Amino acid sequence: MTATEQVRVVLVDDHDMFRAGVRASLDAHVEVVGEAADVDGAVEVILATRPTVVLLDVHLPGGGGGGGAEVLTRCVPVIGETRFLALSVSDAAEDVVAVIRAGARGYVTKAISGPELSAAIDRVAGGDAVFSPRLAGFVLDSFGTQAADVAVRDDELDRLSAREQEVMRLIARGFSYREVAGELFISIKTVETHVSAVLRKLQLSSRHELTRWAAARRLL
Amino acid sequence: MSPSTTLPGAPRARLPLRRPPGNRLLGGVCLGIAAHLDLPVRSVRIMATILALGGGIGVLAYVFLWATVPTGDPAAVAAEQRDPALARIASRGQQRWDAERQDLWSNVPVRDILVGGLLVVAAAALVASRLGVTIEWSWVLPVLIALAGVGIAWSQLDETERGRWLTRAGGRTPNVVLRLAGGIVLVLIGVLLLVSQDMSGSEMIPAVVAATAVLAGAALVLAPWWLRLGRELSEERAARERANERADIAAHLHDSVLQTLALIQRSAARPGEVTRLARNQERELREWLYKDRPAAGTSLAADVAALVAEVENTLTERTGGDESVSIDVVVVGDCHPSEATSALLQATREALVNAVVHGAPPVSLYLEISEQAAEVYVRDRGAGFDLDQIPHDRFGVRESILGRVQRKGGEATVVSHGDRGTEIALRMPLADTNHKQSTTEERAR
Repeated sequence: MTATEQVRVVLVDDHDMFRAGVRASLDAHVEVVGEAADVDGAVEVILATRPTVVLLDVHLPGGGGGGGAEVLTRCVPVIGETRFLALSVSDAAEDVVAVIRAGARGYVTKAISGPELSAAIDRVAGGDAVFSPRLAGFVLDSFGTQAADVAVRDDELDRLSAREQEVMRLIARGFSYREVAGELFISIKTVETHVSAVLRKLQLSSRHELTRWAAARRLL
Repeated sequence: MSPSTTLPGAPRARLPLRRPPGNRLLGGVCLGIAAHLDLPVRSVRIMATILALGGGIGVLAYVFLWATVPTGDPAAVAAEQRDPALARIASRGQQRWDAERQDLWSNVPVRDILVGGLLVVAAAALVASRLGVTIEWSWVLPVLIALAGVGIAWSQLDETERGRWLTRAGGRTPNVVLRLAGGIVLVLIGVLLLVSQDMSGSEMIPAVVAATAVLAGAALVLAPWWLRLGRELSEERAARERANERADIAAHLHDSVLQTLALIQRSAARPGEVTRLARNQERELREWLYKDRPAAGTSLAADVAALVAEVENTLTERTGGDESVSIDVVVVGDCHPSEATSALLQATREALVNAVVHGAPPVSLYLEISEQAAEVYVRDRGAGFDLDQIPHDRFGVRESILGRVQRKGGEATVVSHGDRGTEIALRMPLADTNHKQSTTEERAR
């Protein structure tokens, strides 16, 4: 999907001021088709409008008290066509892991700039994953950075491959996907493939650090 | 001698009636009364003694108060009874009420004297009976047994006493139950002995059965009332806990957030200063909300966070508050700080300053701590510099960043990515021993 193509977005956040700020800072090709301020409202709007991307706050009132992760679990029927990008002020690992494991395609903090956010929306709309430096840091922290933590086989879910580890490390160092590609002499497409693979592992792995976070949030 | 916390001119609220745990002679009743009425403890004690000697009314009153007045520090209880929101936010005007420390009487072993007195009385009674005075043993013994039982059962009200018993017994035994059961058995035996003096065995059994039946009936009637009382008590406790929590949050918001907002309004004309204040506040709140703060000197990750905060603050001040300085930090792993890491930290600091002052934002810091080494990457988006072109007499990068790390056996490199900015990479080998097995576990909590 090219950057100029229209992207339909639903904005879910319980702060009106924040929603207004995001709406104003988004690029022209990003069209906000709906907004919601709590879990129930979000599920309703998402199921009604079927947007391409949902910008989802991790901490949401209402519903069963599960926040953003609850919206994701209740939107399972549309999760194929609608992609979720989690947005949070929280750095807490359990928040991040909760929404990612519930199916979000990316995680950015609310300090992100307008153009960066638009780019992240495009990337998620195109089916790729969006990792902020901090999320990459979480991944490295939970999957380990030692040589012994490197996956031997491709289908291993509990360990990152050497290349994935490298990509994560560069993203954590503040490199953009383009810069990572340049640094490792690979194409951006390959970087995106690696990041998507890491996202999949993050969602499906049974590494105990991840499962414990998930268990703590009653996601299992 | 009196615990005087009264401020001149400020009428002080009366302290609630409680028996303070420390400095007691017997059960702390006089101490509590003294605190409650704001009288000297000694005069209260003398009064009580006079009352006790004069007809025994003092003894009755003492026992009654000992049984009904709960244990506790009066000042602490008073502070608790105030609205918790007020108690936390406002500074505490009330000082802690301390029983006087240097009490002349506190060294007197009252318990031993009491036991001794009892023995003397018993001996006197024995001597008297030998001398021909008829003592109604059939009355005295049962009464004594019943009194002992009552004493044992009621003494569990005395919480300090209970603590002492528990520690003596190893702390695990179901002492309360034991004591209650023992007390009941003793009282029953005493009462039965009293009542059944003139009865034969065959008359006694129906009487015992009848008494038990009455007791059971009373227990059945009173049970729901007791249960409700207990439930209400625990509910009240939970509500108080919630209120305390809310008060804690309110106090924190008041101390930090409101202050910062006031400062921000004052310096609204200086965007850099506003950003700095906001970032500082954000960092503090985040730490307060999300983290179990590690003890000082045990976490390199925490040290790095503090270092970044310090650099951001200093540099924002240096620009006069017109420009904001922000550094993105990502830390993976953690370890105990050591001499090597402190050199690494100092070099990191210089690298950050260098990146902010000479480079272009955004500046990011990545620290990865593994078992073998700690690696730091400081990156900015400036045009960069060529290390070889820096004169050898300039100390900046060469000495304070690269030299520092290399002297401690580390590696340091400066990589210029051209238009993609400059990156300083520092690597410091770590001794295996001080590595903490990744922080993911602590963070997960």
